[in-house]
This record gives sequence, C-alpha cells and structure tokens, in this order.
Amino acid sequence: MSVRNTRSSSARNNPTNSRSSRRRTLVTILVLFAVISVFLVRLVDIQVVQADSLTKDSVGNRSVGQVVYGSRGEIVDTNGVVLAGTVMRYNITMSPVNATPFKRTVDGKKVEISVADAAAEIGAATGQTGDAILLTISTALEANAEANFAYIAQKVDVDVLRAVQNLHIPWTYSENSPSRVYPNGAVAGNMLGYLSGEGVPQAGLESGQDACLASTNGKETYEKGADGVRIPGSSVTSAVAVDGGDVVTTIDSDLQWFVQQTLAARAQETGAAWATAVVLDAKSGKLLAVADYPSVDPNAVGATEDPQDRGSRAFTQSFEPGSTFKALTAASVLDSGVATLQTGIVAPYRYLPANGANINDSHSHPDQNMTLTGVLIDSSNTGMSKFGEKLTDQQRYDYMKAFGVGTPTETGFPREDGGILHPVDEWDNQTSYATMFGQGLTTTALQVASIYQTIANDGVRMPVQLVEGCRQADGTMTNVPDTTGTRVLSETAANDTSDVLEMVYQKSWVSSKWNIPGYRVAAKTGTAQMPDGKGGYSNGYLVSVSGFAPADDPQYVVSVSIADPVKLNTSAAPAPVFQEIMSQVLKKYRAVPSGATAPDLPSTW
Amino acid sequence: MSDNLARVSFSLEPEPFETSAPARRGFRLVSPTPSSRARPRIFYALTAVAGMAAIMVAQLLLSVGISQGAYEISSLQSSQSELGRTAASVSEDLVRVSSPQSLAANAEGLGMVSNSNPVYLRLSDGAVLGAPASASGSRAGAASLVPNALLNGSTLLSQLPADPAAAGAVAITSAPVVPAGLAAPTTR
Repeated sequence: MSVRNTRSSSARNNPTNSRSSRRRTLVTILVLFAVISVFLVRLVDIQVVQADSLTKDSVGNRSVGQVVYGSRGEIVDTNGVVLAGTVMRYNITMSPVNATPFKRTVDGKKVEISVADAAAEIGAATGQTGDAILLTISTALEANAEANFAYIAQKVDVDVLRAVQNLHIPWTYSENSPSRVYPNGAVAGNMLGYLSGEGVPQAGLESGQDACLASTNGKETYEKGADGVRIPGSSVTSAVAVDGGDVVTTIDSDLQWFVQQTLAARAQETGAAWATAVVLDAKSGKLLAVADYPSVDPNAVGATEDPQDRGSRAFTQSFEPGSTFKALTAASVLDSGVATLQTGIVAPYRYLPANGANINDSHSHPDQNMTLTGVLIDSSNTGMSKFGEKLTDQQRYDYMKAFGVGTPTETGFPREDGGILHPVDEWDNQTSYATMFGQGLTTTALQVASIYQTIANDGVRMPVQLVEGCRQADGTMTNVPDTTGTRVLSETAANDTSDVLEMVYQKSWVSSKWNIPGYRVAAKTGTAQMPDGKGGYSNGYLVSVSGFAPADDPQYVVSVSIADPVKLNTSAAPAPVFQEIMSQVLKKYRAVPSGATAPDLPSTW
Repeated sequence: MSDNLARVSFSLEPEPFETSAPARRGFRLVSPTPSSRARPRIFYALTAVAGMAAIMVAQLLLSVGISQGAYEISSLQSSQSELGRTAASVSEDLVRVSSPQSLAANAEGLGMVSNSNPVYLRLSDGAVLGAPASASGSRAGAASLVPNALLNGSTLLSQLPADPAAAGAVAITSAPVVPAGLAAPTTR
C-alpha cells in the first residue's frame, strides 16, 4: 500500500518523465506481445497441430485397458448340482530378457538371488524343476534375444499363483485365464462334452448348448498414476461383459453316478466293449440318467484314448435292438385289433412264410401252441412273425415311425443318431419279417427307452427331454422344449402290452436275476448280433434289457445295453444291472410298492 | 465502499501504467477521515488473504484426501479380489469333496455299504415287502469306476492320521488355503 502510494506520487511529481515512461510502456507492450505470440504459436502447435498424436501418447502412458471376462454359463443337474462350471485359473508368465539376479530383503538383510535360485523357487511352487524353467528362459532368448514374454505355467490354481507371487520375483507376472471345471468328474461326462484348451466347445452339451452357455468378454479402460494406482473416476467401460446362461438338465447327478458305477462294474465283469444305461421318467419323458461305459472325465479328456469313448453312445450309436423290439410289434398288433391276448398261434422252430423269408428261433423246439404272452416269454421269432404278419408292412412301419424309430429323439444332443429305418418299398422279404423282432433296422438305446416309455405311459409318447431350458441371469427360462405328448397306442392296448411284459418279467429265464421284491415290473430282454463294420455280422452280441416299474402305475423306464460281453454274451449280463438300477430308482424316488397282484395271462392254448 | 475495494485490489496487483487519476486522488485527499478508512483496508486485505489461504489449504487437503482415498480404494479392491479368489477356491474345494465319488469313497472308508435291496413294511397290514437281508454291498459299492481327476491325491477321511483333538471336526479331503486374516490395506 505504501509502495503503491510512493510510486504513484513520484510519477505525479515528475511529469517530465512521461515521455520515457511512454517509451518504456511501448517496449514492455512489444516484449509482452512477442512473448505472448511465442506462447500462442506453441499453444496452437500443441492443441491443434500435434493434438492427436500427443493425446494418443498421453493416454497410452496413463491408461490401462483390461479384459473383463464374462463367465461361461454352468451346466447343472435337475437339483442345481453343478456338473460343469467356470473357474478362474491363472497363467504364470515372465520376461526372459529381464530374468536377472535381484535383491530381496531377508531378515532385514538384502540378499542377492541368482536366476538359478529364483527358477528353483518358482519350480517348487509350480511343480516343475528349476532346470525346466531355466530351459524356458534360454529357449525364449535363443528364439529372440529381446524376448519379453514366456509362459512358466498355464492354468494353475490360486494356491500356486499365491506361492509364486509371494516369491516377489520382479520378472514374473500373472494373467487371468478362465477355465472350465467339472466338479463331479466323469459323472455325466460323456453327455457334458468338453472344451478345447482355447475354450472352444468340442462335444456334448457344451457344444450343443453353446448358444445358451457362451459369454461375451467386456473391455474396461482406466487411467493410472505414476505408481500404478488407478485414478478415481477414470474408469470407462467400452464393452460390458455378458455372462452366459445356465443349462438346466433333467439329469440327477447322484442317480447318474450310481447308474454309471453299476454299469461299469458289470461291463468290466463281463468283458464288454461298451455299454449304456438309460433311466427315463415314464410320465414326462425326462431323462434322469444316461450312463455310458467307458466313461470320460471331462477334466482329463486325454486319459480316454478312443475318441468314440469320449462321446455318449446312448445318443450316437445305433444298433439292431433285437428282441426288446418285440414289445413294439406286440403293442402294434394289440392296438390295431388284429389279435387279442387270447389269440393263439402255432410257433415252429423254423418258419418259412409264403414270401420266401426264412425265420428260425434261437434254440430248437417242437411246434408250440402259444399266445402273444407265450411268444414274448420265450422270445420266439417264429411266433412273433405269425402275429406280426397279421399287419401289413406299411401298418407296422407307421407304428414304428409313431414310436420314434428312424428319427433322432427330441433331446437336441449334437450328432444324435436317428437309427436306420428303411422305407417299406425297400424292404426285402427277410427284412419284412426281421423288423418284427428288431432286426433289419437300428435304434439307439434312447429310442428303445422311448418305446417302453410310450407303453408305460398308457400309450402316449412324450418327447425325450434332456434339457429343461436355458436359465438366464434374471431367472427366466428360455429355449424350453415342447413337452406335448402324442398318442401312439390306445390305453387298452398299452395296458395289455404292459401286462404281457409283466408276465415276461415273471416267467422269463432271467426272472431270478432281475427280481425286485415288493414291486410289479414289466421288462423284456434282447439279444442281437452286432455288425462287423463290413456289412456282415460279427461274433459279438449286443445284449439288453428294457422295462418299467411299478407296472401298476409305471413311473420309471430303465434300458440297459451291453455290447459284446465276451464272458457272458446273454441277457444274463444286463439283467442284474437292470435290477440294481431299477431298485435304486424306486428307492431313491420313494415309489410306493405295488399293492395289487400281477396279472396272470395264459401263455399257451 | 467501491473505492475502498478498488484500492485493496490495486494494492495486491500493482498497475504500473496507471498514471492518470489526479481527480480521484484529489478526491481521496479531501476525504475527511483517512485514518478511519485505513483500518478496514487492512482488515479486508487480511480477510482476502486469509480466505485465499484457507481455500488453498482446503483444496490441498481435499486433493490429499482424494488421492488417499484412491490408494485406499485400490488396496481394498485388491484385498477384495484376493478374498474373492479365496472364496472361489474354497467353494471349489467344497463342490469337489461333495461329488458322489468323494462321498462314496469316504462312506466306504468308514465301513458303510451301499444297499440297493429295499425292503418295505406296509403299515396298513404289517406286510413285509421284499426279502430282508443284511446288506452285502451292491455292485455300485466297488472301488470307484467313475473317475474324477479333481480328486487325485486327496485323502480319505478314514486315512487321516488319528488325532483325538481333531475328532468332531469336519474332515475334508484337502484343507482349503485360507490367508491368515484379512489383508491389511497398505496405504502410502
């Protein structure tokens, strides 16, 4: 204040200085303008001319882009048990060019750690040898002397990651790597399929339901300070990560395990090539368990060498069903009304019909007076032929189509086989008869189970269902399959067929092997020759048992097939498996034991 | 009043070019009570300076606070992600040991046998349905034929070393790794 006053008063007191003062003012203004114009030019240069490249540089220095992983959906069983889930795994990486000795503080003293020591420490954490890691470094440097990136270990869990991080080795880094895990191992493994190392679905539900499961990765950019700390409010999400939906299956994982375990035990005991077992809810057509032997553990697909064993033969392998198919022919005959349960025929050992076919039974026997019940109990091919020929080929073909033969089921499983059912005009005289007892056509285990489901469910065939739908993040279910049934048989015909199958269960030669006390059961065995892959038959047999229980109010269908059991190639091989699986199913779902007694139908006349 | 304010501002930012205001100077000189005006000038100056200082200090403190918050957020986020990893790892262990293979193996290890021979007692008439027999273990009770690579190297409950102190504790096939306490935020 005083200075200001002094200066202004001195200026006032020296008016003669006004000229030099004006010159000074002019010079000052000129200098100021010169300085300002320099600044202005620089400003324009920075803000306009170089703006783009400078902005890019600065953002590059400050901003960090990172992938925000969307999580691939889970595959869960009907109770919500996770069969396939996504977990975060970590890749341990390093910078080979920077792999040099470094200092670490141990007990307050700085200790120099050599590269070899560091490699040994990393190796101890990741389960490798130190030499292997040194080799990785030298290999990377040989390929490129400036190599700044190499993997030490991939897809390790968080324990290994922490062990490596705690070593505080400056030239090691980590990156996220989402991975797929199958907590129940091989339980339903053949159905689930698996992903490749890059996360591409390879088979099974992983592949078939990929549209539901697949997630989208997002991207996020933020700015960081010189010390690497994120600057608040600088996060920009350029793409939002979208998690995949969950596939809800109809499978029950506990039952699935039991079925697989039981099947595998019997298959190993009998020296089988492969085997399948299907458990179907008779009322709804939902698959409760689909077991394959050999089974694959999707966590370690490489352990299963044969690529065929990595899929599910229950869906993808069709075979001549053999005598289990006689139930279909019997049902067709009863439904069309050309025969009743009392109708009698004479079944010879060898039957030579007028069209030139040649049919014989599996064992030699004199002519027998049989009813339909007797034919199925003895599983007589000639007897079946005499009933089947009461229908035209076209009629039987139409019944087969209605039962789902020749068409893949509704499960939507990838590469599901529909079996082979030639049109009627391509049938030769032998095929015309062979199709009555399950030869000259092929079915999958699933289709056989579906035939028995139709008979069990009062003649209404339900679509075979493996997937309940795709559960989105908000809990809504999408892609819910159609569950409308179609009537194939009249209720009377279906129940009559069921009664016949119940007689088979009681009177068959394997009845002691599949007896389930307390329940009424309907079942049929089958023995069919297997193709040798060259157009003929091999020496192997495919033995099977299909049936349902409780027969008075059928709720569950079980179908067991064992291929080429070299140590026991008869239906005695699958019968105990059927018994154990059916017992377990009835026990597990608390099926009420049958009250009424089983029907007693005449088998001869 | 406006005069006074102008003066204060001039005093803070000297204007060297101001040479022509004689009329106002004169006006000011005839001001009747110059001393009484000088006092508010200092007062206002001090107020302004103090205000600016306060603003600067407040701004400094705020920016320190924000950057402190950034460090805290950063460290809390990293501890959250560490805890998330631990939670994921532990629940993964839980799911793995509750797989049917693990349960069956542990049950067998404890001497339990699977029985798929149900026998029913009908309450209405006391009838026994089925043939009661002691369970000999079903086919499913054999060694696990349904592999699970995730269980490799895990120990059965019955094979854990007998330790009376551990009796009653929930045994699991492999101990999940839990970091010792919460990670303390490290702020700088």
